Amino acid sequence: MTITEVGSARRRKEDARLITGRTTWTENVTLPGMLHLAILRSPMAHARITSIDVSPALETKGVVAAFSGRDVADVQGALPCAWPVTADMVHPDRPPIAVDEVKFMGEAVAVVAARSRAAALDAIAAIEVDYEPLPAVLDMEAAIADGADLVHADKGTNKGYTWVFDSAEAGTGGDAAAALDGAEVVIKRRYVQQRLIPAFMEPRSVVVDPTGDAYSIWSATQIPHILRFLISVVTGTPEHKVRVIAPDVGGGFGGKLQVTPEELIAFVAAKRLGRPVKYTESRSESLVSAHHGRDVIQDLELAARRDGTVTGLRVKLLANMGAYMGLVGPGVPILGAFMYNAIYKFPAYRFECSGIFTNTTITDAYRGAGRPEATYAIERLMDELAAELGLDPMDVRRRNWIKAEEFPFTTVCGLQYDSGDYDKATDRAMELLGYDELRAEQQRRREAQDPVQLGIGISTYTEMCGLAPSRVLGSLRYGAGGWETASVRMLPTGKVEVVTGTSPHGQGHETAWSQIVADQLGVAFDDVEVLHGDTRTSYKGLDTYGSRSLAVGGIALYNACQKVLDKAKPIAAHMLECDPADLEFTGGQFRVRGNPDGGKSMADCALAVFAAHDLPDGIEPTLDADAVYDPVNFSFPHGTHLCATEVDTETGRVTIRKYVAVDDIGKVINPLIVEGQVHGGIAQGVAQALFEEAVYDADGNLMTGTLVDYTLPTAADLPSFVTDRTESPAPDHPLGTKGVGEAGTIASTPAVVNAIVDALRPMGVNDIAMPCTPERVWRAVQGGAA
Amino acid sequence: MTMRPITFFRAGSIDEAVAAVSSHPDSAFLAGGTTEIDLLRLNVVQPTLLVDVNDLPLTYLEDVDDGGVRIGAMARMSDVARAPRIVERYPGMSQALLLGASEQLRNMASMGGNMCQRTRCSYFRDGQSPCNKREPGSGCSALTGINRGHAVLGTSEQCIATHPSDVAVALVALDAMIRTIGPDGTNAIPIERFFLRPADTPSIEHPLAHGELIVAIDVPALPVARTSRYVKHRDRASYEFALVSVFSAMRVDDAGNVAELRLALGGVGTVPWRAHRAEEALIGRPATPENFAAAADAEFADARTTPMNEFMVTFAKRAIVRELSEVTS
Repeated sequence: MTITEVGSARRRKEDARLITGRTTWTENVTLPGMLHLAILRSPMAHARITSIDVSPALETKGVVAAFSGRDVADVQGALPCAWPVTADMVHPDRPPIAVDEVKFMGEAVAVVAARSRAAALDAIAAIEVDYEPLPAVLDMEAAIADGADLVHADKGTNKGYTWVFDSAEAGTGGDAAAALDGAEVVIKRRYVQQRLIPAFMEPRSVVVDPTGDAYSIWSATQIPHILRFLISVVTGTPEHKVRVIAPDVGGGFGGKLQVTPEELIAFVAAKRLGRPVKYTESRSESLVSAHHGRDVIQDLELAARRDGTVTGLRVKLLANMGAYMGLVGPGVPILGAFMYNAIYKFPAYRFECSGIFTNTTITDAYRGAGRPEATYAIERLMDELAAELGLDPMDVRRRNWIKAEEFPFTTVCGLQYDSGDYDKATDRAMELLGYDELRAEQQRRREAQDPVQLGIGISTYTEMCGLAPSRVLGSLRYGAGGWETASVRMLPTGKVEVVTGTSPHGQGHETAWSQIVADQLGVAFDDVEVLHGDTRTSYKGLDTYGSRSLAVGGIALYNACQKVLDKAKPIAAHMLECDPADLEFTGGQFRVRGNPDGGKSMADCALAVFAAHDLPDGIEPTLDADAVYDPVNFSFPHGTHLCATEVDTETGRVTIRKYVAVDDIGKVINPLIVEGQVHGGIAQGVAQALFEEAVYDADGNLMTGTLVDYTLPTAADLPSFVTDRTESPAPDHPLGTKGVGEAGTIASTPAVVNAIVDALRPMGVNDIAMPCTPERVWRAVQGGAA
Repeated sequence: MTMRPITFFRAGSIDEAVAAVSSHPDSAFLAGGTTEIDLLRLNVVQPTLLVDVNDLPLTYLEDVDDGGVRIGAMARMSDVARAPRIVERYPGMSQALLLGASEQLRNMASMGGNMCQRTRCSYFRDGQSPCNKREPGSGCSALTGINRGHAVLGTSEQCIATHPSDVAVALVALDAMIRTIGPDGTNAIPIERFFLRPADTPSIEHPLAHGELIVAIDVPALPVARTSRYVKHRDRASYEFALVSVFSAMRVDDAGNVAELRLALGGVGTVPWRAHRAEEALIGRPATPENFAAAADAEFADARTTPMNEFMVTFAKRAIVRELSEVTS
């Protein structure tokens, strides 16, 4: 085998069609007789629907049907939650269309089907709804106080669950309470992970085509396979009568890891009307009704010795679930639970998280899902500890982190970190940043009382990628496994069709998968076609999220290639008139060992199998192979991000002067794709640090319902990034890859905030709430210690 | 989003446009459409007739006798921003244009339309909250709501909505004249009288009669404007409205005294805010940071703030001091 493709910065083969838009997006799907849906949404955060009359909508031109939640209450089913994190989790049924009560602004209350989108939108304005306002529950702490108003009156509580991990109870470490009681130093902080909106580029869209007793569903989703399974279960439709197609999908960031009300509404409407229907949300609808992310209050206590050695950590979270439990929403903070100890050798740890209901849009997976929150908390705490002790924040980290020779390392959470070298990545990052020079400049500026102060922010991180070993998911009460699948089919002309169970929505799987296959089978990069996202061709899979596609799906693909090679070998041997044991596969050819001439390629074998005129006895005439890979462990990429910010103490403006990211994500298939993931990830993490926040007013109205108010940053707001990599291959599988989809987002938020706080620490500032807008920075400067 | 039937009429002449709008009570002009169409979709405005003025011969940019410039009302923001005579004579105005909106919007948006653009107040734009500007007498939700970006100057108990324009800030500093043609003939309105503070009638934002069309904006000759500047502070670097913006044009004489000054502010007022008090405090006085600060204090002496936007006063004062200090350095 010669390695030519893996490791090369191939331009992505899917990009021409994605960039020009000349491809199938769900919104482009137009079927004969199709009706268009429009959804009337609640303007109130919490109210009883005292009356609703859809009949005026039926009088409107072009309208075919209109229905409210009451009209379909018996058939619409309820939205699924796949992650009941505790046995007693409160899981109120969430109807796709509200029936008696609306519980958040933007919830669907009625639906119109019409001949055109315009007619449908006209008609929803005619629907008459009377609401009786109910108290809106918005603040998480108020929500769990005695006598609080309730989101779900029948449940008697706003607390959905409390999930606990204690290293002493689990037998994986010591007692955090004891460590805190006897600590030389305790750092106690509260950090707030503000609510964010994923804001993917392509709004959600769904088409449902009922034909006979079967349903074809196109959806702009990350999870066609999971959607098929759950649509079947929720609606009682036999699974083999449901086909789901995720055509090209324009981004997700976790925001399309959901079974949505709109998907079920479209299904119910298509079934009721016997005609294909389409629903595509507007940007405003997307911002208010597609699930949000983060929104967690973190109470943290870190115990340490005066030399900077951490002796214990206690974490208590309030996680805002929104009005209902999302598909994996309850589990998002639990994913983070295993990451608060991060890259460090903490001896004792306790984690407790309560999921709280409020009258807001649900929260669920958003790039990093639990891990950015954890990384932020611990990386901010390590800086605070260093400041408290008067030590260099990097020295404090070094004192505590796992050394390269200590891998594999079993953490206080019981996870086994696979490989890594934190010193190496950090040394490289410090060199690229010019750490010592910038510290010297910082000192000069402090002494000169420069109105523009310099700060250096450190973020050393690890994350768990490659979701996930199925047994681990089972132990965490997750409703599915974590395996992935791939099929490789040799076509008679030597071309290759790959079917993957992953579901790319911008990641570049077609390119990376082609590179893997090209190397393994000795075929040309352009001779590989990657099929995905249609449950008819890709009938099995667990889709794309959690940096799992390459780290799990890529291994399935590798294994499928090996099976194809194994099948081809006796055929090649037969053609070469030799014993299979004498063959080796090099340079894309089966050759007799020691004889460089007269080999047989995979194309030769494919043609021989197609003809099947002269195969060895007992050989099945196929070179196709399937493989399913269930990872034995997560993979643990890591890295060091350093950020230098200039903070204008007069205006509060923060300017990122230099940003260095050194990531260790194991082996790399395509460095260009990795670069793109790192850049995009950093941008999204910087956005949390500096720009983005979903804001509700006291009545539960979303005040950031447009992209003018929700300050998604643009390229003009971001610096050029300096990136590099170190490489600690994943030891558990042959590709050595670890996953990179979330790394930038996880690492960058604390790097930026640490830099801002570092700049202002001499002024008495030890925290600034995110996003660190000029106003908040300025207020912090005015007020000193936060 | 709500859709409703609407009549669209493409006017072939100014007279036709004026006649069409003035003869129909629920009508509106449609220029670049970058605000009007949004507000239609948001159910904030509900005209039943839109009169498109894009075909009118109003895209010109021409010199007027005294060295000033006349800008046709349909000239696009992007064209005006890059016109050599604007860049040379009024660089601060060019900068203000280029810092507004996005290139795509600037290619669509017209200068006349910009003068009529509406506030970004979320309560005004949500189409349902009480709002005296949208629904007179219904109350002001912003007074006690999310008002971080709301105005601190020129407010009333009825409304604290911020005027969003950038280029209008430059134009009030330059003493521009708004020229109109309406059912009662032509009119010329000094720009500071064009933008009305909310007072008791926040729904009335300018003195135009129904059917009165802006046809041109005259910018008078002003030598000091050749060194004018516009600086804009905001939450992100592009596609964002100002928290505070400063237009300045200043001449300091040989003795170090401020000889001429035009100063205007964006993001802080209910109208594009000409800083008359600051100008008066500085003219004839030494151009020093201390005097700039005193002038800024004078300008904001009557500012009315909320807990959320009180930062704006200090922020704006410092922006003024820094801007004028940089001009003099």
